[in-house]
Amino acid sequence: MNLQLFALAFFDGIAYAALVFLVAVGLTLIFGVLRVLNVAHGSFYAMGAYATASTVGAIVAAGYSPWLAFPMMIIASALIGGLIGGPVEKLLLRRIYDMEEVLQILVTFAVFMILEDVQRLVWGVQPYFESSALMVLGTVDVLGITYTAYQLILLPVVAILVLVGLRIFLRHTLSGKLILAVTEDREAATAIGVNVDRVYLVTFVVGASLAAFGGALASATTSVIPGMGADMIVLSFAVVATAGLGRIEGAAITALLIGLGRSFAVYLAPELDVLVPYLIMLAVLLVRPEGLFGMAHTRKI
Amino acid sequence: MLEFRDVTVTLGGVRVLRDVSFLINTSDTVALIGANGAGKTTTLRSIMGFTHMTGEIRFLREDITKLPPAKRPGLGIGYAAEDRRLFSAFTVEENILMPAQVARLTAQETTRRLGRVYTILPELKEMAGRPAGSVSGGQGKMVALGRALMIGTRLIMLDEPFQGLAPALARRYAEALRTLRDHDPDVTLIITESNPGLLRRFADRALVVERGEMREGSLAEDAPDPLHPASPATTP
Repeated sequence: MNLQLFALAFFDGIAYAALVFLVAVGLTLIFGVLRVLNVAHGSFYAMGAYATASTVGAIVAAGYSPWLAFPMMIIASALIGGLIGGPVEKLLLRRIYDMEEVLQILVTFAVFMILEDVQRLVWGVQPYFESSALMVLGTVDVLGITYTAYQLILLPVVAILVLVGLRIFLRHTLSGKLILAVTEDREAATAIGVNVDRVYLVTFVVGASLAAFGGALASATTSVIPGMGADMIVLSFAVVATAGLGRIEGAAITALLIGLGRSFAVYLAPELDVLVPYLIMLAVLLVRPEGLFGMAHTRKI
Repeated sequence: MLEFRDVTVTLGGVRVLRDVSFLINTSDTVALIGANGAGKTTTLRSIMGFTHMTGEIRFLREDITKLPPAKRPGLGIGYAAEDRRLFSAFTVEENILMPAQVARLTAQETTRRLGRVYTILPELKEMAGRPAGSVSGGQGKMVALGRALMIGTRLIMLDEPFQGLAPALARRYAEALRTLRDHDPDVTLIITESNPGLLRRFADRALVVERGEMREGSLAEDAPDPLHPASPATTP
């Protein structure tokens, strides 16, 4: 592998890791607080992509500036998180928190199936491709390789900003502190007056919005097609399980590990590229069943 | 100020409390005595709204049976559970301040209440900046008491506060409770304990829980006081 090919694999891996991180961090945040493994998380990713691709397409077709794609990504993600994620938590998940884990997974899987059909109903089965945001940022030359600035600079910067922003939100705002308090001890938090129901709702909406934001950013780089949510949820599970459930910084490092592992596999052993994330997960969990950054007993029962 | 009317609590098919009725007056210091598993913790958890129960609980003459648990601390109820349950992601002072932030108290009121906590428990001021996860079990109990004091302006409930405390720390804890009594004579205190001798010095009334039933008890003069083994029993 020469230097250029190495750099290409490296850049691909970074860009891919940034997207995977955004989805995985939402998943791990929701699991950390609600203790529900949310299979429907992949749907928020897909719906964020669909909503962005269709609205940006309409905006550009109507002759407006392609730069509007960027605010549109944020608006679409917040709307998907709030308008779809909010009711899913409030009307459905709230009823199953005390149930067995396997039932919780089945319910979120049912939500995933329903939302898959909603996507087909709203957006059809034709692929959407809307790359205005990618085009408008142009390309950069690094080590003799021409790469899109969107993937090489914007995606990693956004991922880092989300990571730092999430850390500041959790440590330094009251809402964030309450999320951490509920994560650690739901009953002790209630005993000091924390409205746990509201914390659950906020967490779920934030987590779902992050997944939708991942989809919104991905929509500029890939065709938006039915089934993309399923692919992403499986990969996010691999990231979250490898990192240790509920670990935010761990999800970032693991996303990088899996993103890079997969992109190098594409160049070195293409037949293994789909398998590599799971091989990494398997290797890690064999040695550390609690995940790279997980603790064996993070929560008292 | 606090009344149970025919309260029955069933946990996993077992009736932990059976038709319990009692009345506690403002400024009482009540020792809730009973063996392990008798229903002491369940009584406190019912007041906090953490159990499925039948019957009625009244606080300051209002029926709070259906009041959501998160709204109860706002009535002035502070609760320190048996296992200290601090939030390890934050410092000691952040833990103490959190109930005030949740209740959105003014900065002035928060400072006043923090001052009250540090007057009663001055040692907390010294460890204010330490991560709550790094304090010892005994210190953690002090922090949990401080956090309960922050919100408990009317009723403070302490579940087995002396459990697992080294003798010196237990004496210090008891001293803090006496300071609280002097400082805030109107606050009502409920303290659970399996060893009645420990509470004889400052409780003025005992309720005994036995197999889910509650009756008036006495803080027997002949029960040994492990904190002051050599001294004769006195009333506060």
